[in-house]
Amino acid sequence: MRIKKITCLGIFAVGLFLTSSILTAKPRTPEMLSNTCAGCHGTNGASAAGPMPIIGGMSKRYLSQTLKDYKSGKRPSTIMGRIARGYSDLELEAIASFMASQPWVKAKVKTNGKMVKEGAKLHAKQCETCHENNGANTGELPKLSGQYPDYLFGQLRLFHEIGGSLPQPTQMRKRIQKLSAEELDALSHFYASQK
Amino acid sequence: MKKLDRRDFLKTAGGAIALGGLGFPFILQAGKTKARVVVIGAGYGGAIAAKYIRMADPDIEVTLIEKDKRYVSCPLSNEVLSGERDVKSLTFGFSGLTGHGIKVVNDLVTEIDPVKKIIKTKSGQNFSFDKAVVSPGVAFKWNEIKGYDEAASKILPHAWKAGEQTVLLRKQLLSMKDGGKVYILAPPNPFRCPPGPYERAAQIALYLKHHKPKSKVIILDAKDKFSKAKLFKQGWQQHYGDMIEWVAGAAGGIVESVNPKARTMQGQVEEYKGDVINVIPAQKAGAIAFATGLTNEKGWCPVNQETFESTIHKDIYVIGDSCIAGSMPKSGYAANSQGKVCAANIIAAVNGGEVPEPSYVNTCYSIIAPKHGISVAKVYKLKEGKIKGIKGSGGLSPLFASPLTREMEASYAIGWFKNVTADMFT
Repeated sequence: MRIKKITCLGIFAVGLFLTSSILTAKPRTPEMLSNTCAGCHGTNGASAAGPMPIIGGMSKRYLSQTLKDYKSGKRPSTIMGRIARGYSDLELEAIASFMASQPWVKAKVKTNGKMVKEGAKLHAKQCETCHENNGANTGELPKLSGQYPDYLFGQLRLFHEIGGSLPQPTQMRKRIQKLSAEELDALSHFYASQK
Repeated sequence: MKKLDRRDFLKTAGGAIALGGLGFPFILQAGKTKARVVVIGAGYGGAIAAKYIRMADPDIEVTLIEKDKRYVSCPLSNEVLSGERDVKSLTFGFSGLTGHGIKVVNDLVTEIDPVKKIIKTKSGQNFSFDKAVVSPGVAFKWNEIKGYDEAASKILPHAWKAGEQTVLLRKQLLSMKDGGKVYILAPPNPFRCPPGPYERAAQIALYLKHHKPKSKVIILDAKDKFSKAKLFKQGWQQHYGDMIEWVAGAAGGIVESVNPKARTMQGQVEEYKGDVINVIPAQKAGAIAFATGLTNEKGWCPVNQETFESTIHKDIYVIGDSCIAGSMPKSGYAANSQGKVCAANIIAAVNGGEVPEPSYVNTCYSIIAPKHGISVAKVYKLKEGKIKGIKGSGGLSPLFASPLTREMEASYAIGWFKNVTADMFT
């Protein structure tokens, strides 16, 4: 099974090679590039720590866009911008592909029942239009269900503090602005409680 | 760009059976052991190399030899000094690694024969290997500061290998009187964890601020510069006022000798007397690296920086603090990253693949106060045979940042610790 996966990555790496051969003699494989993420994001992106998001099994398009937004500074970060600037856009896409192909390992956390209830109401009213299926849909959007509440709350707080200059859609930014810290925390607990 | 798929693999394996009589190396047949790898040291480098070899190729037999029954992490051990955590939270067993099919042996390696390819241990066991990975961490240069040897470290702890030494330093801080002077002797370059002594000053000050506010922390430095200096000085001032003082080497920070019983230190300019003295000695590669002749005249291990194979002994790889890894610092994250590059190379070598183009990262957090974290990071690549930082990547936390940014970085420091140790031990 492992060998099969390596083959898939090999094919991808060949594609990467054809498009980036002008820049470097030999491309770095998606696995080689992505293994450097595990120090902070867990083996194959299955984070074991609340502040860091689970990225293994996340939407490829979302990961790829987010990494590029970190690189350009469009999405604010403490450290991800500094890291993303070490890779070409093609390499960031390779990392996104590798992580997207990993299994999603749901966060093992206890959620607060009262907050989950409160969060469910907020979600239905504010978020479900885009983050469908209680945040479980992952086509082009980040998977929110089963994500760490610490991470979600941290990002929502940051978005709330920064407000204007974010790559997120205008409607989302406006809605986050109107919610209190308690409400954002409740939303985070709700998503963490979902499958 | 050649990767082995199943068909190629079976072809190669079949060929190997046919060529077996001609002494074709390693590869016997699919599903059987292709090669024996012995990893020495189950720390930030060794545990990762062992696990990532097994994850990618379960037909490689991996034996991990570690002298201690459990591993105690150096990263975050400064938090034991402030009382924010205990040593237990830094301690890990090896059952996760056993779960990957790694044979974990609790023993001390006393000899590596690079010609016969045999590793010998203190208890008399022998292990033959096709490839060996040496990840022993650092050893101390005793008596470089006159009077500071292993015996002296029982009185003036170094606490630069976590465990008993960390607890000893914590106990001395607990029994010190208010108004006491804590000295930290910071070592010359290169050494394990460049920001460590300065984070330590902050963590000790965190304890003193709440329990012994008249006390002082004085860093006597062998150097004139240090890692993340502006960020540390800003953070020290913000949280601890004038409690922390840093003395540069040129300003009298170089200590020539210590008297452990009198708790005095003779500097180049003046004599110092402390209540608690933490001597972080100058460092060199781990003992087994010296015993095997893997070191150069400076006491560190030269390696091919693309593969981490020793440039002195073939088929022996050196990773982590002991090796010379271009521009990478001696940090836990660097060792993790090197372990993965080394693993990919061993897998390629065993399977007859090409040397993969390496990618390396370092990220290093320091916690100045419970909600005040700072970091330095870099992405690296191989350039003309040397590991070099990629221009434009990495760098320090901004000097002026919101409290929320500092708080997030502190939470990432702890998140990093959880994930990097899960990467090693689960």
